[in-house]
Amino acid sequence: MLEIERLVTGYNGVPVLQDVSLTLSSGEIVGLLGANNAGKTTLINSLSGMYAPMSGRILFEGKDITALTPRERVELGIVQVPEGRLVFPEMSVRENLLLGGINRRARPGRARQMEHVLELFPRMKERLSQDAGTLSGGEQQMLAIGRALMAEARLLMLDEPSLGLSPLFVQYIFGIIDKLHADGLTILLVEQNLNLTLRHAQRCYVLERGRVAIEGPADAIKDDPRTRSAYLGL
Amino acid sequence: MDEFLQALTQGLLIGSTYGLLALGMGLVYGVSGVVNFAHGDFIALGMFMCLALYSALSLDPYVSIIITVPVMMAVGALVYRYLLRPMVGYKFLMIVQLTLGLSLVLQNGILMVFGGQPARTPSVVESKLWILGDVVMRVPHVIAFVVSFALAIALYAMLRSTDFGRSIRAVHQNAHAASLTGIDVGRVQVLTFALGIGILAVAAALLLPGTPIQPTMGLRYTVITLLVVVLGGMTNFVGIMLGGLVIGISEAFGTIYLSDTLGMLLPYGIFVLIMLFRPQGLTWGAAR
Repeated sequence: MLEIERLVTGYNGVPVLQDVSLTLSSGEIVGLLGANNAGKTTLINSLSGMYAPMSGRILFEGKDITALTPRERVELGIVQVPEGRLVFPEMSVRENLLLGGINRRARPGRARQMEHVLELFPRMKERLSQDAGTLSGGEQQMLAIGRALMAEARLLMLDEPSLGLSPLFVQYIFGIIDKLHADGLTILLVEQNLNLTLRHAQRCYVLERGRVAIEGPADAIKDDPRTRSAYLGL
Repeated sequence: MDEFLQALTQGLLIGSTYGLLALGMGLVYGVSGVVNFAHGDFIALGMFMCLALYSALSLDPYVSIIITVPVMMAVGALVYRYLLRPMVGYKFLMIVQLTLGLSLVLQNGILMVFGGQPARTPSVVESKLWILGDVVMRVPHVIAFVVSFALAIALYAMLRSTDFGRSIRAVHQNAHAASLTGIDVGRVQVLTFALGIGILAVAAALLLPGTPIQPTMGLRYTVITLLVVVLGGMTNFVGIMLGGLVIGISEAFGTIYLSDTLGMLLPYGIFVLIMLFRPQGLTWGAAR
């Protein structure tokens, strides 16, 4: 479904990602691991079209999307749940969800999609008219995922969904991720939490200083001694 | 007492339009961080366009809106797209300088076309009065009040309950997140700027009847708008309308109770006083 070919991305001419290649098949859940500053967020933002790559290509369903704008990518169904949730704090839960479905492809079916999302997150239904800024961290994460689903995501990219959440909420959120995966959604999971990701992802990539250091099935990554060293930056 | 009521009424009527001017500036600031120092010159441009339409087609300023609003919006969109957008992300002072430059260009452009003589644009309601008990109101002021509040309410409703309005608020609250939800941030900024200039075209017609116009008059409106916006809190809807009324009323009291020159100073004096004691602005954390 998604192919990244030798992507080089950076800021101000300094590359952060070097020659990153990655593939994702339809219906797969793939983990993207790595220490802080390994380039995980840069990669996910490159997929969202936030930066123009210095070289390389990104293909989505065989179509070259390297030059598409963020809006056009959302319209294709490539949707990100950003690190730190980034819900719109001074808007109600309902307005946040409506904005999630603002792209041209999702807009006609917004009412139906909203029901679907509220079924998935009953807690959001109780909070519909509450400002998003007043929600707890876990609730904001639910809202951020709900907002991304409103866009009728086909490739859902989650950036650090466990960050700053209580263990109970982490369990809940990963339960949701498993459920979405079971329903056939393709998921790219960016996480610092190694064990958590290995438990939920089918395959993993480990980034180390902007390069893919290791890739393979989750089980193999788990036992690979290089994984721990990539994490510790050794 | 008559004088007091008279001043209060006149201030309220004019202040509503000042509030409207400031809403346009606040909206633009909210989505793109641009403070437009040519704000008042766009008002002057709108007024001179009304004058031209009166000279050529004998159109009343209130009717001219049908033409001036779309034309000014188009001008606004082009100015944002080709002058301001390339500057967004640079230092704030660069944008200030650019819009100050734009202000001079507009002033001198108007001067070239219309000359420097003060001019007037007549309207059928210009000298009509509306007498309510002891208070005499000029009909153009009443129209300005009603239209300004109607537009402010329409803007508020648009921000609350349309996709475009929600996009504006989303870009204001977190432009990065807005972009990730599929909002074209650049497009929202261009359209908001155009909308802000379109509002000025309406305000120009509202302020025009009875007002002598000259090419350099824009600065006064820029300063008034800045006062209101700072009083109200840059992106605070209710605060801005309230700020408009405060400035309008102090201006009216200044002209009625004090001598001409001293009267002109009153709004600024009151502004300084309010800023000394309430540097956070008039309202209490009721941001939108």
